Amino acid sequence: MSDSEAAAEKQDPSPAETPGYSTDVAPTRKARRRPDAVPVAEAEERPKVEEQLPKTSSDSTVAQGGWGYWGSWGKSILSTATATVATVGQGLTQVIEKAETSLGIPSPTELSAQVEEEHKQQAEASSETDKATGDGPSAIGGAMGMLTSLSSVVQSTGKTVITGGLDALEFIGKKTMDVIAEGDPGFKKTKGLMIRNSTLSQVLREAKEREELQTAETESSDSEKKVVAHYGMLFDEFQGLSHLEALEILSRESESKVKSVLTTLSGDELVQLRDELENIKEAFSLVEFDDEEVEEKKDGTEFDRELMKALEGLSVSTTADKLNKVSRKTVRRFARVFSVVSVLRIQFPVVHILIFLYMSSPLFLHSCVFVCAKSHQEVHAAAIRSLAELTARSIELFHKLAEMILFSGGRTETSALSQLTVVLCKEISLLSKKFTSCLTTAGSTEKGDVLNPLITGVFLEASNSASYIQDAFQLLMPILEISHIQRRAEPTQQ
Amino acid sequence: MAYAYLFKYIIIGDTGVGKSCLLLQFTDKRFQPVHDLTIGVEFGARMITIDGKQIKLQIWDTAGQESFRSITRSYYRGAAGALLVYDITRRDTFNHLTTWLEDARQHSNSNMVIMLIGNKSDLESRREVKKEEGEAFAREHGLIFMETSAKTASNVEEAFINTAKEIYEKIQEGVFDINNEANGIKIGPQHPTTNSTLTGSQGGQQAGGGCC
Repeated sequence: MSDSEAAAEKQDPSPAETPGYSTDVAPTRKARRRPDAVPVAEAEERPKVEEQLPKTSSDSTVAQGGWGYWGSWGKSILSTATATVATVGQGLTQVIEKAETSLGIPSPTELSAQVEEEHKQQAEASSETDKATGDGPSAIGGAMGMLTSLSSVVQSTGKTVITGGLDALEFIGKKTMDVIAEGDPGFKKTKGLMIRNSTLSQVLREAKEREELQTAETESSDSEKKVVAHYGMLFDEFQGLSHLEALEILSRESESKVKSVLTTLSGDELVQLRDELENIKEAFSLVEFDDEEVEEKKDGTEFDRELMKALEGLSVSTTADKLNKVSRKTVRRFARVFSVVSVLRIQFPVVHILIFLYMSSPLFLHSCVFVCAKSHQEVHAAAIRSLAELTARSIELFHKLAEMILFSGGRTETSALSQLTVVLCKEISLLSKKFTSCLTTAGSTEKGDVLNPLITGVFLEASNSASYIQDAFQLLMPILEISHIQRRAEPTQQ
Repeated sequence: MAYAYLFKYIIIGDTGVGKSCLLLQFTDKRFQPVHDLTIGVEFGARMITIDGKQIKLQIWDTAGQESFRSITRSYYRGAAGALLVYDITRRDTFNHLTTWLEDARQHSNSNMVIMLIGNKSDLESRREVKKEEGEAFAREHGLIFMETSAKTASNVEEAFINTAKEIYEKIQEGVFDINNEANGIKIGPQHPTTNSTLTGSQGGQQAGGGCC
């Protein structure tokens, strides 16, 4: 630990230039819930907040390594009622932690020096922190803590930073400071940044439209346009927005139906139903999975088993036979995307079924191209595209599940749904890690200021993707509630 | 690509009349004789040009099965156009039109443009519903009418595009409030360069009259 601290201290060329921010944000640090913040936070805090070191660094030893970042992130988000709001809140907390970063900006590779120390598998590199530059996985690890924090803030600030880099971080950092300066220690106001009256699909649509506008603007001047990938546009292309919109409609309607049912009940009946609904709600808000477990489950074998388990749990619960058939179609379409991930992880034997389905898809060729691609822009574009597709397919899956739950009235285990969500989010993070690793390799000859924004962009979108998936999961809650009400009303049917 | 307007469409009608095939023909220009049963709703999108303006059609292709009706009805709201489809070789699909129409009118906004489509016009030998009957029904209920074939692509483009034209005209006439997204119309992202003529966000309605 002390080695890494020393190394990082040496690495950090820019001690805080704005001490004022640090005092502002100090209290919020304690409120942080995501361990993934730790490595980055350490890097920034060290130069001036020495006395905090022992505590934070002991935290970090636990949180470091593998996919603990995402694992714990998913956990904390899922444990709150509304993923979006939670993400914004947490995002801001971390942005504040990173206020110095956004002004002093250590690059992901610099940050990685320290992360590297703690990665068991990279132990041998620990003495050569100088050489850490360009080392994919570790650079990514370091960037991760910082980047995950930005996801929703990006959406809410209303500034498009989809393809932006570190100056985007800076913008967000400043923006956050403005918000804090308004005297809102509880962050209630900042949560409102998520535009209280707009739905997720609206937010996404706006982001997409901004991208379209940008694209149109640069069209004439920028000949490289074709390799530039816009997440929002691609997400829409894969019908992610439409499925999300439809899911929102079903969710809203179910919610109002539940409310109206509740108003017709009274006395014991009402109390009982309330209790039952409360159980469903709890299942949605108490989704957890063991952090340590996640770290162990780094390899694809475990993931594929998990995914299959989650999907099985769902298909068993749908009663009608033909529905099953169609749901399998959706799952299959979706599984194709999944296997991109598996291809990347070179886990062929494990996922042979998925691979088989996937071989015929254009995406497969696409990913093959990218694996051998020489241009880092192409890798970046492929990364964004894959993230957008995987997310859109995930939303589609949730939408189809919602329709099937409403249609079949079959019993659906919330645990299967939450497990699916967790698996999806983990997969998003793995996907992004693989791509950024490729990116680092493909762009090894490039300077950091070319490569870093691209890496940042991938993590940013991965983080957004996970938020969207978690939001979609939350949208299922009223649907399970109304389905439950309908089932108990007609116990003889089904 | 940037578009001036986005119109939301729904496609409704009995199961097996060719709703998904019409969509596939329109978006992908191909015909697939065997189609999986649509669950709930599926989507398609395509860009068209009307009056020199790019318009994006976002099409919600609903399940025709009766048992899905309670779900698909939820999707009607916020549609600017509807394609109400029957099969000219199946009289019962024509007989159900009244129910579909009532449903559509009840669950969507009153200005929604409805195009009645008699599909499978390539199967002349098996025709059970005369073209005149379709026309009469459309006249009676104030719908636009067209016979199409998703298989040969006959009139498919026209059906989608004519509906869009009608919506576009209604926008010009000020019937649709384009700033209210519940009408199924969204204004595309506006270019800063053209903002001066379109007068920003609040001048949407004036813009419609202004540029013509």
